[in-house]
Amino acid sequence: MVIEATAKQVYASGVKPIWCPGCGDFGVFAAITKALTDLKVDKSNAMIVSGIGCSSAMPQTFSAYGMHSLHGRLLPNASGARLANHDLTVIGAGGDGDGYGIGVGHLIHTARRNINMTYIVMNNETYGLTTGQTSPTAAMGRKSKSTPFGSIEMPVNPLALAISSGATYVARGFSGDVAHLTEMIKGAIQHKGFSLVDVFSPCVTFNHDNTYEWFRPRIYKLEAANHDPSNLVLAFGKAVEDSQTNWEKIPIGVFYKVDKPTYEELDITLKNGPLIKQPLPTKEQVLKALEENR
Amino acid sequence: MAGITVRIAGANGDGVESSGALLMKVAAKNGMQAFGYRGYQSIIRGGHVWFQVRVGDCDEKLQSYGHTIDILVALNQDAILNQASHLSDGASVIYDPTKVKVDTLDATKCKLVPVPMLDIALQVSGDPIMRNTVAMGTVLKLLGIEMAVFEDIIKGMFSRKGEKIVNSNVQAASKGYGLEGLQSIHSIKKDGKSRFVLDGSTSLSIGAYASGCNFYAAYPMTPASGILHWYAAHADKGIFFKQTEDEIAAINMAVGAANAGVRAMCGTSGGGFSLMVEGLGLAGMLETPIVVVDSQRTGPSTGLPTKTEQGDLLFVMHASQGEFPRIVVAPRSVEEAFYITSEAFNLAERYQCPVIILMDLYISEHVETIDGFDIDSIKIDRGKVDKSNPVPTGRYKRYLYTEDGISPRAYPGTPGTEFVAPSDEHDEYGDLTSDALSGIDKYVEVRRKMMKKRMTKIETMLKNESIFAPGIYNEGADYFFVTFGSSTGPAMEATALLKDKGYNVGVISFSYLMPLDKEKTKEILKGRKLIDLEVNYTAQLAQVIMMNTGIEIEKRILEYDGEAITGQGVADKAVSVIQSFK
Repeated sequence: MVIEATAKQVYASGVKPIWCPGCGDFGVFAAITKALTDLKVDKSNAMIVSGIGCSSAMPQTFSAYGMHSLHGRLLPNASGARLANHDLTVIGAGGDGDGYGIGVGHLIHTARRNINMTYIVMNNETYGLTTGQTSPTAAMGRKSKSTPFGSIEMPVNPLALAISSGATYVARGFSGDVAHLTEMIKGAIQHKGFSLVDVFSPCVTFNHDNTYEWFRPRIYKLEAANHDPSNLVLAFGKAVEDSQTNWEKIPIGVFYKVDKPTYEELDITLKNGPLIKQPLPTKEQVLKALEENR
Repeated sequence: MAGITVRIAGANGDGVESSGALLMKVAAKNGMQAFGYRGYQSIIRGGHVWFQVRVGDCDEKLQSYGHTIDILVALNQDAILNQASHLSDGASVIYDPTKVKVDTLDATKCKLVPVPMLDIALQVSGDPIMRNTVAMGTVLKLLGIEMAVFEDIIKGMFSRKGEKIVNSNVQAASKGYGLEGLQSIHSIKKDGKSRFVLDGSTSLSIGAYASGCNFYAAYPMTPASGILHWYAAHADKGIFFKQTEDEIAAINMAVGAANAGVRAMCGTSGGGFSLMVEGLGLAGMLETPIVVVDSQRTGPSTGLPTKTEQGDLLFVMHASQGEFPRIVVAPRSVEEAFYITSEAFNLAERYQCPVIILMDLYISEHVETIDGFDIDSIKIDRGKVDKSNPVPTGRYKRYLYTEDGISPRAYPGTPGTEFVAPSDEHDEYGDLTSDALSGIDKYVEVRRKMMKKRMTKIETMLKNESIFAPGIYNEGADYFFVTFGSSTGPAMEATALLKDKGYNVGVISFSYLMPLDKEKTKEILKGRKLIDLEVNYTAQLAQVIMMNTGIEIEKRILEYDGEAITGQGVADKAVSVIQSFK
């Protein structure tokens, strides 16, 4: 992947991530950088929030604001930041264990709130930083340190889950195709509402099943297939196509996109502007609140 | 002892709570003092519930809800069965002879007041629910309170529901008030003041609101839900409330919001606090100022959800892995909940650490008359905040090493002070030293320095603040109750009762529990005859005192049955404890 020198200067912190050579997360870093550059996002207004895992090195690689939070809790932390100051461009960046395992409850609830933020999941079907256990998106039969006899659980379908939970922009990218992934992320940042970008981000060390080479012949782009992302039923159909075809046909692109009012637009206080900019109560207002108890 | 105690008892759905609230209001508007507490269960309809209101003279603040019942309103048969043992000598028992039998009561020890509540209710409104209003009329008469006050309040409460409802309520109460042969038997001193009626949750919420806390996140849990309801009801006043999917989300949202620069709070009870523990450590590591409320109820596990306890003290002091500065406070009264909450936000932001407000069901939910709050005394101190990078050409050092351990922070959105708040160990920039760098000499030193920087804040707060020691009441006393938080009121009341018996007892009471100024605390405790008073089994405060001062308090009064303690109850138990001192 090539990161333009200027973009790198603006957004890169110079901190080296911990990723192994060839890790898919480099592609995601490049795509986020390009998306921020193309959209001219002011880095002092950008907030990149991670959970824990290999993916959690992401905020540190940027010179924007960030939080490196807890395993599985990036969405509540990111939500808190956005709800406190919705002038911020908030981007969550985590892994599949983080977002679809320990933190999956937050995915459902953050999606249904339609808080205007972007959630990028570096999905490698593996727990990498804990040295290679099966993750919630690993296929049945997958052998790993935690499933030496093969996984006997159905994998989570994050796209169908996000769509059914009320996410208003649901896309999938591949870190082996940074240009396409950049478009997915740009679309997510520009979209007004909760966006999930699930990214196939191969783990070159622990997942020898789902490699770049394995993905390439199976992947096709929804844009080229004339998929209509405004159609909920078709979106669900595409979201399950991978498992329905026994992983022979894996669509990437925008599965679903719909315009709905965001949480910030509907909330009785936030619709008047970012919370952080709202005036604090006057003495008279406090007295009035006390007076209710007379 | 001052105060007349009225207990209204019946089933959920009988209007027990609204009657109690009404009586509180009548006393408060009529220039009296009042103190109310509700006994209820985890059931929405049915069960056995009561509301106890103690009404007292204007010139003496009541410190607990009353030990025995002077006037019982028995709305059903269970009320007679369950409450008979709580009656004081000569208590009045108001009941409906068509519904409730009183032959089990000893008529020589109480005064029976039969009131045809149902008949009157049906006569004036056709609605049986009005029968408790009839009974309230009778209560007012016995208390010697004029009907006019009641009428004003009814008009205020029901005017939206129309004149007919107002009139039938007034009529129902008047009939109960004017029963033939009914005499006033009590006389309560009053002044011209109209007082407020507040519970601890409301007091805390207004304190937070007044201090600029405009972000509250919570998951419903008794007995912390009062704060949730307050914030939800006032969300149109320029503040933000979020009901979250669980307490994990609640605390993490609060951390995210506080890091973004608003004053943020989350609240729960012990079970939810258990889920918040990891998030508490996150705030400790990120040095993010948040305020967390734990309103304790009877544990362990789900315990008694509608009953009170002070069983979480050691838990909140030590919750989460590793070590980081935190402050634990426990308001000693409804009024103090307002001021201490305000101070909690200043402390959180001054020292960039989590502050835990330890409430309990008793202080969260009981109601008291309050004269008012000194709102002008509320000062907002947001601590050290950089509005720009002090080193404009360099990367911002959010976690700058400083002598007092406090590094100025910056709000996201500020140009030039970009940083990442990291849950892993980090250097001054906030860059992680955990992954590729841990164990390398230079970063072993960074760990040592960063840990010391954070922990130094404890020394700084002890040096700069004078609050981290207990208060003392009646300094010249022979014996002292040692207690904290909500048990202080009953302890204070007990001292007055014990004085009548010839014992000179004082109170040493903690509202700031962590950190503790060891020397100061020792100075206050040493050489005195101490009686530990707590609402838990293992004397947790006594353990904290032992750890901090080496002083062991051997004499103890410990209650753990879930019921709120009273001044009389404490005094009764204290006599034998006092006599056991050599």
